Formats: sequence, C-alpha cells, structure tokens
Amino acid sequence: MPEPEFRPEEIFRILDEHGVRFVVVGGFAAILHGAPYVTFDVDVVPAVDPGNLSALSAALKEMHARIWTNDEPEGLSFDHSGGSLAMTKIWNLVTDHGRLDVTFEPSGTTGFDDLRRDAVSLRVMGQPVDVASLADVVRSKQAAGRRKDELMLPVLREMLGGGPPPDSPPG
Amino acid sequence: MMHHVYHGGMELGQFVREARRRAGLSQRELAARVGISQPQVARIERGSVDTSFRLVRRLVRASGFDVSIELVDLDDSAWSVAQTQQRMSIDARVRANRALLSVAGAAKDHA
Repeated sequence: MPEPEFRPEEIFRILDEHGVRFVVVGGFAAILHGAPYVTFDVDVVPAVDPGNLSALSAALKEMHARIWTNDEPEGLSFDHSGGSLAMTKIWNLVTDHGRLDVTFEPSGTTGFDDLRRDAVSLRVMGQPVDVASLADVVRSKQAAGRRKDELMLPVLREMLGGGPPPDSPPG
Repeated sequence: MMHHVYHGGMELGQFVREARRRAGLSQRELAARVGISQPQVARIERGSVDTSFRLVRRLVRASGFDVSIELVDLDDSAWSVAQTQQRMSIDARVRANRALLSVAGAAKDHA
C-alpha cells in the first residue's frame, strides 16, 4: 500500500479542531516562507503542558498516526496518551494525510515557547497555522547539521538577509 | 566550539541573534559578557546599525560559537528559484511541493 498523499492542511485542521497548540518548523516551514525546498513531511513542535499533550494524543488518534520507519512505511500502530507522548523527544509518524514528525525540542531551540515567540501566523489552504520564523528555521537547521540541511542553508540565509549583495563590476 | 560559515547576503546581526538564542542567553546577559549595552545588542541583531565584523565575532564567541569566512564560487541559482517561489502565494508553494513529490513518486515507481 503506498503512503497516503501528503496533505499537511488536513493534519493542521485536525490538530486545530482538537485545540492543539503547536508551531510548524523544519522544511515545510521553510517552504511556507518561500524557500525552494521539497519535503514529504511536516514537523510540528507542540506545547508540553498536560492538557495540550492530551489534545495532541486525541488528534493523532483521529488521523490514525502510526510510527513510521524505513522498513514499515505504512507505519506501526502504537498506543499513546499525552503522558506517553512526552516520554520521547521525537516521533516520526505516518498519518492518513502523510508523514508527520512531532518533536518537542528541535535542535538549537528549547521548544514551543522559544519558537512561538517569533512565529508568524499564516493561512495554509484556508487553515490558520503558526509557523516558526525563518530565522528560527535557520537556527534549528544549522544546529541539526544534517547534510541535506547544509545544502539548503545558504539560500535560507540569503532569504534572511534580503538576497545576495549586488555583483561588483569586474576590476 | 562550533563554526558557522558566513554566507554573503545574511545580515551579520542574524548570526549574533542565532548564536545568542542557541546559547539561551538574553540580550542583557550577552551585552554584559562583552561590555556593551543591551540596546546596542538589540540594534546589532536587527541590523539597524553598521557593525564591525570584529564586534560580531566577539558577540558570537561570547555565546560559545565562532564565525568563519571562506571564499566560494558565485552561484545564485538557488536564490533565483527562491525569488520565484517568494512571488507565489503560500497555497501555491504548498501545491508546488505536492506536485514535485508526485513527480518524485512517479519516478520512483517507474524505476
């Protein structure tokens, strides 16, 4: 069975309907900021208070979230609650609407409150969503130090600085 | 200590902010470490004042990081794509990602 079509707006809608407070980070956040990036998943950073984690657990159940692995792209079912979700730093999941990574402390950040501070509210396919600032996306990707991020960082930094400086005439 | 590579278009102040945030420091704490005022740090981070590279490096180092500069070949192709992407609406950016994933999926199925 192929992986479900990636429809992040549906993931956002379900999270929103359950009242989950979260910030979008990672490659999908970079795309929303206009970066020439392609990604097959969405990374969200939820607030870690018990009420929010319980809401997150309910939302994940509604979207039939399963644990994604390379060997099991259809996902492994797992039982969870707000409390059990908090016991792991990152969850790589596949849902009815595509891949979803839930991470509590992205590299170079201290999590939701840190990222929420400068987040921007955007509307994605009609769905309101808080997205980490481009500067914070860069901060996290720089700290993660993954090869695929290193390739993208120069252009993200150019975007932050408003573009490359004008070429100098040949001297 | 980690090293950051400087890329041309980025305002130097962004490096200061990024390093400070990663270190979990307030602007006031960082200012105290290098002996300048908190408003000065804020202005540097915003890019509202011209700042010497020397001072930027001091601030970054006071956050536990370092900045390195290197010459690289000029390549603005990714920036050209980014400019195109930035002229698109947010929904169009999402649809473009979906279309590219679809192409990638078709190529994978074909292989």
